Amino acid sequence: MHKATFERRPERVALFVTCMVDMLYPNVGIAACELLEKNGIQVSFPEEQTCCGQPAFNAGYRNEARKLARRFISIFGPLVDSGEIDAIVAPSGSCATMTSHFYEVIFQESNEPDLTIQAQRLAAVTFELTEFLVDVLGLVSTGAQLQGKAAYHPCCHLYRELGVDEQPRKLLAGVEGLELVELPHADDCCGFGGLFAIKNSGISAAMGRAKARYAQQSGADAVVLCDVSCMTHINGILSREGVDCRAQHIAEILNDQCGSNLRPPTDPTPTPADHPRRWGDVA
Amino acid sequence: MSTRDNILASLRETLRQPDLPFPLLDSPPLTQAERMTVTSASGGLWAQAERFAQEIAAVKGTCELLETETEARLAIVSRLQIWVEEEQAARKTADAERAEDWDVLCWPPAQLHVEGLTHILKETGFKLIEPTDLHDPEQRERIRPVRAGVTSVEAAFASTGSFVVGAGGANARAASLTPFRHLVVVPFSRLFATAEDWLAEMRYAGGLDAYIRRSRNISIVTGPSKSADLEGNLTLGVHGPKVVHAILFDDVQE
Amino acid sequence: MQVDIHAPYKDRIRQALGDPNLRVAVSKATDRMDNARNASMDEIEGERLRSQLRQMKQNVLRNWPDYLQELETNLRQNGCVVHWAEGIEDAQAIVKDIALQNSAKLVVKAKSMATEEIHLNHAMEEAGLRVVETDLGEYIIQLADEPPSHIVAPVIHKRMEEIAEVFQEKLDMPVTRDPTKMTSLARARLRKEFFAADIGISGCNFAIAETGTICIVTNEGNGRMVSSMPRVYVAVMGIEKLVPTVEDAFLQLQALCRSATGQQFTVYCSMTSGPRRKGDVDGPEQVHVVLLDNGRTRMFARGYGEALMCIRCGACLNACPVYQEIGGHAYGSTYNGPIGAVITPALAPEITQFKELPHATSLCGACREACPVKIDLPRLLLDLRSDLVQQGASPTTEALGIKSYSALMSSRRMYESLGKLASIGSNVYAGMSGGNIKFMPPPLNGWTAYRDFAPFARKSFRDWWKERSKKRQRA
Ligand code: SF4
Repeated sequence: MHKATFERRPERVALFVTCMVDMLYPNVGIAACELLEKNGIQVSFPEEQTCCGQPAFNAGYRNEARKLARRFISIFGPLVDSGEIDAIVAPSGSCATMTSHFYEVIFQESNEPDLTIQAQRLAAVTFELTEFLVDVLGLVSTGAQLQGKAAYHPCCHLYRELGVDEQPRKLLAGVEGLELVELPHADDCCGFGGLFAIKNSGISAAMGRAKARYAQQSGADAVVLCDVSCMTHINGILSREGVDCRAQHIAEILNDQCGSNLRPPTDPTPTPADHPRRWGDVA
Repeated sequence: MSTRDNILASLRETLRQPDLPFPLLDSPPLTQAERMTVTSASGGLWAQAERFAQEIAAVKGTCELLETETEARLAIVSRLQIWVEEEQAARKTADAERAEDWDVLCWPPAQLHVEGLTHILKETGFKLIEPTDLHDPEQRERIRPVRAGVTSVEAAFASTGSFVVGAGGANARAASLTPFRHLVVVPFSRLFATAEDWLAEMRYAGGLDAYIRRSRNISIVTGPSKSADLEGNLTLGVHGPKVVHAILFDDVQE
Repeated sequence: MQVDIHAPYKDRIRQALGDPNLRVAVSKATDRMDNARNASMDEIEGERLRSQLRQMKQNVLRNWPDYLQELETNLRQNGCVVHWAEGIEDAQAIVKDIALQNSAKLVVKAKSMATEEIHLNHAMEEAGLRVVETDLGEYIIQLADEPPSHIVAPVIHKRMEEIAEVFQEKLDMPVTRDPTKMTSLARARLRKEFFAADIGISGCNFAIAETGTICIVTNEGNGRMVSSMPRVYVAVMGIEKLVPTVEDAFLQLQALCRSATGQQFTVYCSMTSGPRRKGDVDGPEQVHVVLLDNGRTRMFARGYGEALMCIRCGACLNACPVYQEIGGHAYGSTYNGPIGAVITPALAPEITQFKELPHATSLCGACREACPVKIDLPRLLLDLRSDLVQQGASPTTEALGIKSYSALMSSRRMYESLGKLASIGSNVYAGMSGGNIKFMPPPLNGWTAYRDFAPFARKSFRDWWKERSKKRQRA
């Protein structure tokens, strides 16, 4: 996949917010939107967007995946082609992988050269949020301030398919007051894997429990990551196992939002009872 | 059609598919020029010998570096004598002399690259076992209790502490395999920085493929026999030698 | 045996997950090997080595039949007998025949996945021969009557006390957990077998086409023993295990050792080019090479050729978080871990015979990152899932679910209404159980059996966006 190089600083971005963020974790989308806007980006949200089709692709249903891929391309393609937007940004490594890696694959397979080319064109301007902030906007810090301990978990698609790892780590390191701790076996999968979590729930949960153990060992208040799907899984396990640590999406952290066990810089150390036990729609 | 022809025909048919996803039509071989040398060892022969010593120690072998053939000859004899003592000390009934302790399973003298070695070994009381046919039951039985083997090498690689033993003719495979201890004689002239250096030299001399075929078996050996099968615990001497001692000596005198 | 490999898939997984010893043993060992691999690849230009190996293997497959013929010609010239076997039965028959012709009684074997694949031990024993596995790990599991659970470390699933029990029960060894004592005992026992055996059998890590040479790689020396001591030596090799030249062999050898155990070289790499000649002191009088297809040509034609570049180093198993949790037996197949999940169905007469395996993975990609040939295992697993769907092998409820999901997601209106509905429903429901959802009906109970679920947001992102846009318009 060839990433576009921008001659001038991109100004207009379409947010591909992803269906999970839209319906389950709007705060993540809001944070992503605000982060971009704070940095002088004009954000649009094509309201026709739904899901990228990854669940179908992941389960092997390529015709169904193609259906949604065509839909996605028909929404975002014209915006890119007309120059209305410079880039597509998603607060998810996984959904960005689907649209920027696998669309090409499925249209190649179905022998649809036009769509393959369109998919490639979109792929070139599609970025995961932190990738966009660091690689395209050249950010080193978002100016956020928080206190507490955070450990970074590299989500598999982001880390291994998109090769994005330094970018989120760099931005996290730039959060004032936040103490970063090492998550043991950080690059082990949390066990989510889409349909895998249901079809092979026993194995998936065992992997999740390993992640929870390491999170506990790390002493982190929050496990920070770039995908809400893995966040849902890890939090589901942490909550069920009663571990006092929460996974939180990086957009919220970078945008100064508390929520999980992290606190604003002025907050006194709360008693454990004050820790929000719920996650998701906290605000 | 025979099974063979079926298999080959099926492969050819698959390769004719125009839209075969893998392998691509354009799949060039890895050429001699581009193939990488995986490891490296720098410096002259002495530096390389030292590197060899370091590497073989890392895999639980041992090593001595000597300046001349004469010193090597003495080192070999005293090493074998030490081994006899160790064998006897290790036995519960330490006083019981066992004739086999003095047996040495050996390559023929001419193959050891140390002049007069067999002579001095005999003088010092060792019994050299030089079998001629190990499928002969009697000879086979004879080598079974032998605790020490002495061989030279075809080549040794400094960067990994490995050596190559070739079999064929009177050079028994067993000498580097069945005894409990293996003493390996490495003249500097057989020492190469890396495996790839050796291959290149052999290839250049036009003898690589011929050599590989001629010596019906070659083994690349890197340290004593070992296993980690018992829950990761390292144990030595599972089937091959438990002790591998290399004696390197300068026969080049740069 | 904790995991019964003949049990149905779900039961095997349950057994594996329920055995705490298994996880400890497997994760400890795989961690150790994984770290060793990483360290040894970092020591050198690991990336370059992987690219070069891939290039070499790709070229082999592109010219596969030619290299095979070259190998065959050279093996014959060297005095080896070459046999071709299409499937399990022929392969068994070929080896049994060799044994019969040599009136053999005792067979010593070096660990080999190809012979596991054709269930050779079983066949030989039925034919009245005694077969002794000589790799220490393989010896232990043969005594325990279990199949190997890892491509390179067959007894990885057992802890010391379990191994000690086997030694005690089967070899009358006094109680000890001293690995050195256990090793000496095995050495003494197996030494007798090596000296007495009529036939030595091994697999083949790779064969060199240009010289007609069979290479086997071991740390213990049993590979050298079986190919040197008995009068007859038989190597069973998958037809894909080819390298063009001697230099290629050394490249692959080093990639293999580093990827498997993090060694620069294994202790022994034994390269056999033919039977002993007149005047040779030792070595086998006959060398037989069995070229085994057993589904490889089929797999190639099905488009899974990429996995035929596999050099069986086991790195993908060591890196795999699923393998760490369940070990090898739970896969219920000869090859396990990520590569097993690909090639088991791809080699089988019908891929649907192993329809669970391509789903037994979270597709995290750690395997591809570890693989010395950079085989895109996640991609192949996805392709298999797609093939399974096309062959109608997926459950009806799943197919229906995915179809309605994609219909729903194809319409903004439906998507938005569903979001509203889910938000109201899930919040009411979550409220009843104290904030999070603790139970969902099948098939989603797979989730809530082990994890909580957060309710949908009360106000979606798009709601927020709309409100904000309106506010801005007003302002
Ligand atoms: S797929 Fe790759 S990593 Fe796995 S065993 Fe084969 S070569 Fe090794």
